[in-house]
Amino acid sequence: MAADTSKPLFPAAPHASLLPSHGNANRLSPEAAYWRNFRSSTLDTGSTAFSVTHLAFSPARARPTLAAAWSSAVHLFAGDPLAPRPKVTVCKDAAAYSPSFRCDGALLAAGDGRGVVRVFRVDKPTAGPLRTLSAHAAQTRVVRYPEAGGDKVHLLTAGDDALLAYWDVPSETPVFTVPAAHRDYIRAGAPSPVDHNLFATGSYDQSVKLWDARTGKAPALTFSHGASVESVLFLPSGGLLATAGGTTVKIWDVIGGGRLVHSVESHVKTIFALALGKMGATGETRLLSAGSDGYVKCFDYGELKMTHSMRYPKELLSVACSPCGTVLVAGSSKGDIFVRRRKKNATEEEEEEVVGSEFAWTMPKPEKQALKPSYYRYFLRGQNEKAKEGDFVISRPKKAKFAEHDKLLRKFRHKDALVSALAKNNPRSVVAVMEELVARRKLVRCIGNLDVAELGLLLDFLHRNATLPRYARLLLGVANKVLEMRAEDIISEDGGKLRGCIRNLKRMVVEEIKIQHTLQEIQGMISPMLALSANRLE
Amino acid sequence: TLPLLSPPSRRPPPLASRPHFPARPRTLAKPAAAAAAMITGGQSYVSAPPAFSADGRFLLVCSGRSVSVFSTSTGMLVSELEGHEGDVTAVVVVPPQSSAAAAAKLATHCWTAGLDGFLIYWDFATAELVRKVKVDAPVHSMVIPNISKKLKVTEVYAPFAFVSVEALSNKAIQDKAKGKPVAKKKELWGQLRIYDLWKGCQVGSELAQTRKPEKIVVSCSGEFLGIANKRHLYIWSIPTKDFNHDNIRKIKLGHTKKLSTLAFHPSERIVAGGDATGRILIWRGFGKAKFSGTHCAKSQVDEERDGVRGKDDAGTCTTWHWHSSGVNFLKFSSDGAYLLSGGMEGVIVVWQLDTGKRRYKPRLGSPLLFFVDSPDSSISCVSCTNNQVHLLNMPNMEVLKTVSGIKMPIASGDLSRRDVCGFDSTNGLVAIPTQDYCIQFYNLFENTEVSEVQVCERNFQPVDDITMYISLVSLSIGGNLMCTVEVKLPEEELGGLVTLKFWNQGSRAGQFHLSTVIYEPHSDAGISAVAFHPGKNMAVSSSFGCNFKVWVQSLALQSSDGKSQSGWRCQSVGSYKKKPMTAAAFSGDGSVLAVAAESVITLWDPDNNALVGVIAEALSPITKLSFAGDSAYLMSLSQSSKPQVAVWNVSNLSMQWSYTLFAEAACCSSSKSEFAVLSLLSCPEGGAPAEQDGIILIFDAENSKPVSSWSVKKAKGGSIAFVKDGPSFDANTDDTRGGEASLLVYVNGSHEYVIFDPLKNEEPQISKSTRKNIQTDEPAPIGYASIYGELPKLELKKEVSDIPFIPSDRPWETIFTGSSHALPPLTKLCSVFLASLLEKRPVTDE
Repeated sequence: MAADTSKPLFPAAPHASLLPSHGNANRLSPEAAYWRNFRSSTLDTGSTAFSVTHLAFSPARARPTLAAAWSSAVHLFAGDPLAPRPKVTVCKDAAAYSPSFRCDGALLAAGDGRGVVRVFRVDKPTAGPLRTLSAHAAQTRVVRYPEAGGDKVHLLTAGDDALLAYWDVPSETPVFTVPAAHRDYIRAGAPSPVDHNLFATGSYDQSVKLWDARTGKAPALTFSHGASVESVLFLPSGGLLATAGGTTVKIWDVIGGGRLVHSVESHVKTIFALALGKMGATGETRLLSAGSDGYVKCFDYGELKMTHSMRYPKELLSVACSPCGTVLVAGSSKGDIFVRRRKKNATEEEEEEVVGSEFAWTMPKPEKQALKPSYYRYFLRGQNEKAKEGDFVISRPKKAKFAEHDKLLRKFRHKDALVSALAKNNPRSVVAVMEELVARRKLVRCIGNLDVAELGLLLDFLHRNATLPRYARLLLGVANKVLEMRAEDIISEDGGKLRGCIRNLKRMVVEEIKIQHTLQEIQGMISPMLALSANRLE
Repeated sequence: TLPLLSPPSRRPPPLASRPHFPARPRTLAKPAAAAAAMITGGQSYVSAPPAFSADGRFLLVCSGRSVSVFSTSTGMLVSELEGHEGDVTAVVVVPPQSSAAAAAKLATHCWTAGLDGFLIYWDFATAELVRKVKVDAPVHSMVIPNISKKLKVTEVYAPFAFVSVEALSNKAIQDKAKGKPVAKKKELWGQLRIYDLWKGCQVGSELAQTRKPEKIVVSCSGEFLGIANKRHLYIWSIPTKDFNHDNIRKIKLGHTKKLSTLAFHPSERIVAGGDATGRILIWRGFGKAKFSGTHCAKSQVDEERDGVRGKDDAGTCTTWHWHSSGVNFLKFSSDGAYLLSGGMEGVIVVWQLDTGKRRYKPRLGSPLLFFVDSPDSSISCVSCTNNQVHLLNMPNMEVLKTVSGIKMPIASGDLSRRDVCGFDSTNGLVAIPTQDYCIQFYNLFENTEVSEVQVCERNFQPVDDITMYISLVSLSIGGNLMCTVEVKLPEEELGGLVTLKFWNQGSRAGQFHLSTVIYEPHSDAGISAVAFHPGKNMAVSSSFGCNFKVWVQSLALQSSDGKSQSGWRCQSVGSYKKKPMTAAAFSGDGSVLAVAAESVITLWDPDNNALVGVIAEALSPITKLSFAGDSAYLMSLSQSSKPQVAVWNVSNLSMQWSYTLFAEAACCSSSKSEFAVLSLLSCPEGGAPAEQDGIILIFDAENSKPVSSWSVKKAKGGSIAFVKDGPSFDANTDDTRGGEASLLVYVNGSHEYVIFDPLKNEEPQISKSTRKNIQTDEPAPIGYASIYGELPKLELKKEVSDIPFIPSDRPWETIFTGSSHALPPLTKLCSVFLASLLEKRPVTDE
């Protein structure tokens, strides 16, 4: 069948000069839309005197458990949404640092300000330490269980005394220790996600070292980050290592001998923490970095580009993302833990429940009844059938959707079109309708026909938009026309609402004049300089 | 005689200082035997309603003096019927007769009527003229109802033509001869006459006299005939059997407004009339009293007669109103259930006759004029004022094909707005702005539309005053760049806008895509001219806002998404003494830019924006500038009250020569120093200014003596341009000029055009475009094949008997493998089954 060659209906659209030049801000990238979809809340820790230095999620997926090192205790939060659980008091009179869950999530190790590392049971947090490992002489900011291989007996610790220790936890004895592993405080460490023997540490001496528990003593690899290293993190492949120090995040290829893959200078202040965030929607992983500038930046290490940044009200010291990617937490230096929890839609919620609870409480779904011709659904069956490969698809012609003002314009109901656009409160469509009305020679008549409420709408719209440079040319004229034509109606109106609008309008005009004066002053200052530089060029 | 060019009027042109004409300006009277060809085209396809052939395969469209036959399946031109010497106003396809032999014979015959006063009988399949009937007066409308006459014993088909002619009645002529003063308003110019087409003579006296010739409408059966005369419908009842012109009866139906059109119901006694205010009136049961011939008039009085005025002879009258302005056509569907109407809005409205409910076919883009159904009513066509005929697939009204002619000039009350069109001389295209904000590219040599470019995305709206229009179109010399200027007029100083758009050529000529949009290029001021640099991608726009801008195309612009874009940007701005810039032109080599600042011509270096020179003043503001080829001569036109055509020598900044001559248009050849000027002759008294005749003068820039001159018609609003020899142009014009722009195109005020060689001495011969896309169509499938397509050839399957079939001893093993209904009856099976169970024993004779 031949396509109908008659013309399409052109909807009223403002000409392109009215569009913002930097593109449409309303259209979010899918990435930004994903991160915007998080609802933020705050977890209460009580006081603002201490900072949240470390945040860690339990690797056990069944139930999200968050450990936050704050003051002298490790605070535990569990459940969805996160609810506080009894805290783990690490040390009475020294700060707690670096909680780390064992790979099965049953045990938690944490360091303290004196250099003692303790191991606790997660399900009995108040019961006191199971093991106490003491070798460090200063605060231990790095306590890490190995991640891969199901290694449950070893633990890596490092501290400000530049000592690195690899422990056999059950016996409370170190397998090996490396004194002066770095030449300054060791503040960063990470286990490899693919090999339980591999660790990376970063120190304030700017160097990053890779350790192999099998060889011990000497580092397998050393390279320099170029600034005091605050955080290191293996990317999920195990071949790439991300290090954060100063305002840069660097990504290194550790298999290729410590080659720098990429460097991002994304923050304006020091970056304190790195974490991996899993995007629930696509299953992709992003590298999250939190800095004392109050931003969490989201970096796509596959594409090597920054995809999103999230602003927080305070400077951040730590960040973590739950293993399933639904909760993103960031700890500030003032003791707040900011939580962003992903809004779920119904289907996902259902899925989560099935995964989340160990026992299936829901009844098995009843079997679908066979469709009989007496059912309504019988006649709808097969509508959601997808086309098979090789099927010839006849697409249904797309029904063009038109805005209400377009429909009204098509019916020549000009005033109604203008009012409907005004009610929608989208300046672009209002201006588009006004332009179309000008082309039809109907704008003046429309203005004359507006009743009081609609006139209020129009005046309100003019007050908000008339001085925007994009629309000013048309709207200032319209504002003049409205005042000229409807002055009597405005004066005689009872409620005084219109007079309020006029006052607003007046204020807007005064402000605009002020702005124009300032601009002229600036122009006056700049133009001699421009003339000078032009002369010099010649 | 030619449609456009004609002998010059005897009165000399009103020239203050007349150029010396050659002794005898060449007129185009009779075609010489072997002479330079001349191409005409651009006829209107919508001057009269078209007609379908009896089988619906062809559409006969009146186009100027000929009838063009288009194929309805392809929309292409098939043949042309040429023979009328005036515009063709009516074409009637003779309906096939009942007898099969006659049907085959008459299926491709038609009658046409023209303003030359002839009715011509054609065989349009072979484009052959069969018979001519003289009428003696310009025919404006003709119908041939299907009536028969008793001849001896048998009824035979007898074609009688009812024609509407433009003539004074005998009485009026006698009165005039006697010197009786007849008020001009009262003069009756229209007559309705009957002609017997077999005998070729008038039958009886005229049926009616009207002030001007009216359009005649006939009902399907041929029983009724009607015209809309002022506020009345005149309806005649014609005896279809045994026709006798004395036996015609007439009724009148009155209305309060001027009626514009009418239509008869195909089966019932219903007539619909449309008036100038958009109302549709439907009279049911008209003529019950008079046409039925019985004496029921008395009983009629008691009956309720809704909405019928006075003593009009009709049952009821209903009024529908949807159209906002005059109804241009009415048409009942063939089953009589629907009424179709159309008018200014460009919307076909389908009324359900019983309920008055409406459906619409919107966005046809232009006011509608005529609507014609094919005989089997599967296809219909609607003529639009923008010279398009849309073929509609009937029940769903989908546009199948469109026959588009050259776009008509946009009618506007504003006389200061000039009709603009751009010429692409290399490809032989003309770019014409249309009413629905497009630019149509029309191939002058092949007389076909090439493409339409939507310049501004806005729907066509039927408005009286134009608020938005394309004010300038300019094409670069190669035709690969286009620049358009559209103007939106402000409403009480609100929201006016001037937009300059640059376009780049797409894959082929006539296809353009938008490159750059510049809003308000010269702040509020309008643009007077746009010109392209002959070599570079550079353009200049001059404005009434006292400056001109030079635009260049920057190719290295990188957009955000990585694609390289070629945008236009302003390179420099120039102005001269705060005077409005009224015209601009680049010299042939592009080294000099001439801009007219009102009556002063300023010369600029376009690259450095430096003023090079100023030429002394002309008499009045210059409206057009053009360099004559590569020479140093600059031609200027002034079109104000002090008209002037002047030629300036740029090398010594002085005037070469000038004439006080009102020039409508002018153009310069791109290579040589010759140029052509189209000038208007003074308007004869009483003539409409639009019909003004003109003269084309060809000058050589060095010499004030015209090289040649041609006289033309309808010069007002016309334009001229030099074009290069099209490839389709015939081989007779030997390439002495080496394919240079040597032909002149003249487009007149109603967009008819003629292409000719202005310097040839022989008298030219008219030729239509030599390469016509006349296609041979295949016979259309009929009957079953037209619905379901060709049946696949049935090939009888060969019995596959490769596997030898051996009946087994146990037939139940094979017998149940077939379908159940093919089983042999149980009685037969049983015996076989039982027999198989029994053990066979060799029978021995005992």
